Amino acid sequence: MATEVKVPQDLWQDDDMEAVITNWLASDGATVRKGALIAEIMVEKSQFEVSAPADGVLKISKQTDDIVRKGDVIGQIT
Amino acid sequence: MLDQPINERRLTIARAMAEAIQQEMQRDPTVFVMGEDIAGFGGIFGNTRGLFEEFGKERVRDTPISETGFISAAVGAAMDGMRPVVELMFVDFFGVCFDAIYNQMAKNTYFAGGNASVPMVLMTSTGGGYSDAGQHSQCLYGTFAHLPGMKVVSPSNAYDAKGLMTAAIRDDNPVVYMFHKRLQGMGWLGTEAGATVNTPEEGYTVEIGKAKVVRAGTDVTLVGLAMGVHNALKAATKLAEDGISAEVIDLVSLVPLDRETVINSVAKTGRLIVVDEDYHSYGVSGEIIATVTEHDISKLKASPARVTFPDVPIPYAKNMEQFCLPNPDKIIAAYRKM
Repeated sequence: MATEVKVPQDLWQDDDMEAVITNWLASDGATVRKGALIAEIMVEKSQFEVSAPADGVLKISKQTDDIVRKGDVIGQIT
Repeated sequence: MLDQPINERRLTIARAMAEAIQQEMQRDPTVFVMGEDIAGFGGIFGNTRGLFEEFGKERVRDTPISETGFISAAVGAAMDGMRPVVELMFVDFFGVCFDAIYNQMAKNTYFAGGNASVPMVLMTSTGGGYSDAGQHSQCLYGTFAHLPGMKVVSPSNAYDAKGLMTAAIRDDNPVVYMFHKRLQGMGWLGTEAGATVNTPEEGYTVEIGKAKVVRAGTDVTLVGLAMGVHNALKAATKLAEDGISAEVIDLVSLVPLDRETVINSVAKTGRLIVVDEDYHSYGVSGEIIATVTEHDISKLKASPARVTFPDVPIPYAKNMEQFCLPNPDKIIAAYRKM
């Protein structure tokens, strides 16, 4: 059962603001633990953190330097 | 390449530095941190993230914008039994406090006949390429490496960043820890994916004074430091498409300088290109070339070359700055000329 890795809705205030993925801290295909820090996202020079929502194997769908919005799916954990 | 295939724990250089400082602060109560915006803000380059929350304001101290004051204070504290980790926010700011650095920090052990030590880490940001202009983009590797009495290191990746910081804090000698801004992992400075690598959770050291062969090769030796390593690796990948095998050396330390690793590599390949984002003249690139030519020119199949920043104040205009900076294409062009 796959769990989507999404940019959390409460990560920053402005709903319309675009962000960029600055770093993936886990690789495509890596085994991650729920709660582990897996990505850093930047909005206007402020960095935010994205944690793994579940245990499993990570599949990355949005790459470093890709633009994302709140709620966007950036990966999947199976 | 720099990264390992098993990579459950990738850190950016910024996080790796913060983790090293954190673990040493847990181990040793004499370690403390000082600098501008290093406390609640976590450092403008992310390298002291989380420290203020864990250790509080006695051990993680924001300072006024007064390098002359707080760098001197660090020297005094270090001579009095503490192990300060003090940040000079931009290496370009060294001017106002350089006496405290090169005359006090670097020499007091000697002047005291060995009866005093100055076990401090001076961490400082270096490098440009994001239009921060002439007073916020310099590398100044040569300036610091040239003056006796202080160790000088600069990591190209998170694994080395953590190990070097740990080693620097434990070292009883003063260590200048130069971190390249564009390798930190701060998105607003651009991203260099190759710097974010698997980093062990436990404490460990990386030997200060030992260079690393980060890519083995046979046709040409590319020597770099910090961002230069990544330029060299990219050039090597491109050269490989044409069947040219480039060996890439990450110097890791400028003082002590691992001349032997460079000499051995050029003895094998016969060709040397040094990549150095610092100014062209009177610096690291010349030192590496001199090291090789003084040793044995019979091994050389071609004159050594260097890809450096020209001897001009760093431009603000993006096209001008990018024109000046070392990059993989310039390294490849230098090889083609050999």
